[in-house]
Amino acid sequence: MIPYICALLFLALPIGWAEWAMARYGGEKGFHSGPAIMGMVGRGRIARYLGVLAILIPMVVYMYYVYIEAWCLRYAWEYLIGGVTLTGSIEEKVLGAAVFFGQTTGTDTNGVLNMSSVFWLIVVALNIVLVYRGLSGGIEKFCQFALPAMAILAVIVLIRVLTLGTPDPTHPDQNVLNGLGYLWNPDFSKLSDFDTWLAAAGQIFFSLSVGFGVILNYASYLKKKDDIALSGFTASATNELFEVGFGGLITITAAFVFLGASGVGGGFGLGFQTLPVVFEQMGAAGRWIGFAWFFLLFLAAITSSISMLQPVKAFFEEALGISSGQAIAWVSVICGFGSLWVIWFSKNMVALDVMDFWVGTFCIFLLATVQIICFGWVWGVKKGMAEIDQGALMRIPRVFVFIMKYVAPVYLLVVLGGFTYFNLGQKATEVSQNPVALWTVMIIAAVIALLVVLVAIGERRWRAAGMDLDGKRGEGD
Amino acid sequence: MNAGGWIFMLISLGLVWGTTIWAYCRLLGAPPEKPDE
Repeated sequence: MIPYICALLFLALPIGWAEWAMARYGGEKGFHSGPAIMGMVGRGRIARYLGVLAILIPMVVYMYYVYIEAWCLRYAWEYLIGGVTLTGSIEEKVLGAAVFFGQTTGTDTNGVLNMSSVFWLIVVALNIVLVYRGLSGGIEKFCQFALPAMAILAVIVLIRVLTLGTPDPTHPDQNVLNGLGYLWNPDFSKLSDFDTWLAAAGQIFFSLSVGFGVILNYASYLKKKDDIALSGFTASATNELFEVGFGGLITITAAFVFLGASGVGGGFGLGFQTLPVVFEQMGAAGRWIGFAWFFLLFLAAITSSISMLQPVKAFFEEALGISSGQAIAWVSVICGFGSLWVIWFSKNMVALDVMDFWVGTFCIFLLATVQIICFGWVWGVKKGMAEIDQGALMRIPRVFVFIMKYVAPVYLLVVLGGFTYFNLGQKATEVSQNPVALWTVMIIAAVIALLVVLVAIGERRWRAAGMDLDGKRGEGD
Repeated sequence: MNAGGWIFMLISLGLVWGTTIWAYCRLLGAPPEKPDE
């Protein structure tokens, strides 16, 4: 938790503000895609091509995210029809939940288009339709109802988790207090591991969509008088409330109680494997709470995946000068193939894990570094802060000027350097020893190559149209 | 859970709840958006 809190205060919050500011500024100049905005703020070609990350990340994360979305829908469906039945002792229920998870996600074997593929098709079709129709108003209305509903449900589930006590007498150490201790007891020995710092920052960047490319697109449609300071802060605070106040407390405590310390590091499957056991401990109401939980989770997830498609679509439109419909068609085909790859090579979630680490953690970290360096050192932190202050409903404490200019870049570069020196070799070896992992990396590389070509095409178009793509004309502002 | 864990948890949860409530109060108390000219 220590690296997580440091990452929130010194990285996610200031970089989030920087991203909102750069995007709104770029939008005023007529740019709405990551590479174009980065090229303008970063004053040239290097920043523009590094901005490819702002498209790669939402694109590749979408490829596996929709599959997880399909799990949510499948779980909700199974709860609705009474298909999740866990019986016997606690140990047997935990085993039953793990078996159900394996069957649902196909983690036992490769090459099987399991039952969840049907749900995947529904989810992909929904995403395409919703992005095509454009539904910012719909998302707003949905959030007005879904956020409070999710919070009420989370409070109910949290109370149940915190009152679990010691559900399995054969494992007296696996109790709620020890579960909370696992989550909250400061463990200073972990602080020397760069992997921990990278994972903590990656996690918070991911959940706040900072360094993700999404804010770069969405905030580019804001007007000068719109607030970005308080809005950015509120978005971060709300996310932290759900992630730390509810999500972490529920999932990690429950996972410790049912799976023990060794089972907590289970990654994506953790909530899917432990929460059914929690719902089972709620009696008859558990089935309906389980349905509501996973269905709301599915709805929340679909708003995220739509937000991932949107910046990619905008980039294809902007770079190639094609219509919205054509852009969606291209993006859907490319992302569809990537997503099928994840489903097909589902054994032990190798493809998913590789994409999640190299793009969903490492590339996000890399993009955040590029962004804060462009903001603080190329565009200029004073100019950036002036942009943030335009229309602001809160004054950002000036200590953040120092944090944005010095602390955040140094923090990111030290962790990146440390990770590269101590951990990168081992991670690369892991990839090279597994053919599926290796091919997954090749797919990511192919997507990068495609995006680089598209930026080159876009660059010509923008220059021909007389746009200020290197941000030179704003220097006298 | 040890004493450090309790302190860490209570401060973190207090901050998370406190800042969220503060942010929403500020946002809801802001003057309404003026229509575009």
